[in-house]
Amino acid sequence: MDCEIPTSLSDNRLGDFSNDRPGGAAFRVDGVDFTYDGALPMFRSLTLSARPGEFVALLGPSGCGKTTLLNLLSGFLPPDSGRITIDGETVTPEMPALGHVFQSPQLFPWLDVLDNVRFGLRMAGRLPDAEQRDKAMAVLSLVGLEAAAGKFPHQLSGGMQQRVALARALVLEPRLLLMDEPFAALDAITRATLNEELLRLCGRLGQTVLFITHDVEEAVFLADRVVLLGIAPAGIHSELAIDLPRPRHLRETRRLERFTTLTDTLLERISAIVAAA
Amino acid sequence: MRTRLYGWAAFPSLLLVWSAAAWNLPPYVLPQPWAVAAEAVRWLDSGQLAAHVGASLLREAGGFAVAVLGALALGLAGALSPGFRAFSAPLTGLFMAIPPIAWAPLSMIFFGLGYVAITMVIVVAALFPMAVTVQEGFLAIRNGNLRAARVLGARRWQLIRHVYLPASLPFLTAALRIGFSQAWRALVAAEMLGASQGIGWMVAMGGQIGNATQVLLGVAIIGMTAWITEGLVFRRIERRYRHWHLA
Repeated sequence: MDCEIPTSLSDNRLGDFSNDRPGGAAFRVDGVDFTYDGALPMFRSLTLSARPGEFVALLGPSGCGKTTLLNLLSGFLPPDSGRITIDGETVTPEMPALGHVFQSPQLFPWLDVLDNVRFGLRMAGRLPDAEQRDKAMAVLSLVGLEAAAGKFPHQLSGGMQQRVALARALVLEPRLLLMDEPFAALDAITRATLNEELLRLCGRLGQTVLFITHDVEEAVFLADRVVLLGIAPAGIHSELAIDLPRPRHLRETRRLERFTTLTDTLLERISAIVAAA
Repeated sequence: MRTRLYGWAAFPSLLLVWSAAAWNLPPYVLPQPWAVAAEAVRWLDSGQLAAHVGASLLREAGGFAVAVLGALALGLAGALSPGFRAFSAPLTGLFMAIPPIAWAPLSMIFFGLGYVAITMVIVVAALFPMAVTVQEGFLAIRNGNLRAARVLGARRWQLIRHVYLPASLPFLTAALRIGFSQAWRALVAAEMLGASQGIGWMVAMGGQIGNATQVLLGVAIIGMTAWITEGLVFRRIERRYRHWHLA
């Protein structure tokens, strides 16, 4: 199904899409408290930040409030206190600087692939139709799906759908990309391919990425820094810098001794979190 | 293939059973199918049939159109505002529990005998079931699609135009189908009570003068009109959206 995955992306493809890298946004969570009505507190004075262009993986066992955290980060939920900012501005879901890829692709089934990717440009309404199409097409080719432009979401495999969702977010050139276990529902092979593809795209576009996952190897493979979440309301348990060389490749990187050391460290810490709970 | 054959056999079988029953009964109680067909030709030739069917369809169209607009407004309001939803639910439930034809006498006292009185009965019959379906449709729109649209920059009115409306098309067509058939049932009943033309009147008048052929012709036309509209128009539109639920 995923036969259209390109083995490499040429630079001129990117040139169609963006002349200058959108770059990354600085992201800050400042002393955020959050409690659902009538429930135990989820977060107490949570603090987290990301440098422009940094790839941060948020890793945590189930029940650590990953989804709540992401809803806070994207402004869908307001914090009880504290601030969440992108380049100093309080975050809202509609913010153009913010891109979001959900766990399930959430494509619009009534639109074909091209119109799905074009959706954000249509809402903004700043570009004429032809330019919107060109731009959407360029981003589609970036994820290797230009051939699927006229198809409808139900005609695509899960992996292709998630690539369309990624393209749909990237077309607005967000400077912060929030990804909520985007590949968790995919099979291992598709997932590994998409991980590599994501790194290639981020390396070129340079945005800041917050990537939520419960998969330790995925977190280590992708991130500059892994932030480990404890069981609520513990908040952040610890952080680990991932000093693996870039560019990273599926097989080579995973064979490195350092890769194993890092994943082992994280696995031990997660066991400790779960045991203490 | 065999299963399809059974489907094709359904109507001929009905005609056979009808005809067999009619052999043993006097024609003024149960006429033969061909007697009804001959009656149909007579009504067609005189232009009466077109006049009655036309009158009925005109009422149906008017009442159905008003009900569609009302149902869209009520359904959208109910979907967007939990308060309105809570307020309207008991009322809708009550109105749906009352057979629409029960309103016909009141409607005729209010508006006099004529187009408006019967059309109002249709509106009452179709409005509430459609409003409920429309509201359910809007509510069933996946929260995920709404969130996705919001992060892509869609504002309130853009959400309605670009997400709520297209995403609810399958429900809207289902609502149209339900509303149309409810309206049609109420229309025929109302015409039997207080109209001087229309298919319902045709049936009622046939019954009063003891003309079973005319009654059966009217019943056949009522059934076939509804059956054809549903099968050819609404089911076809609905089929287009079936794959949406898979994505």
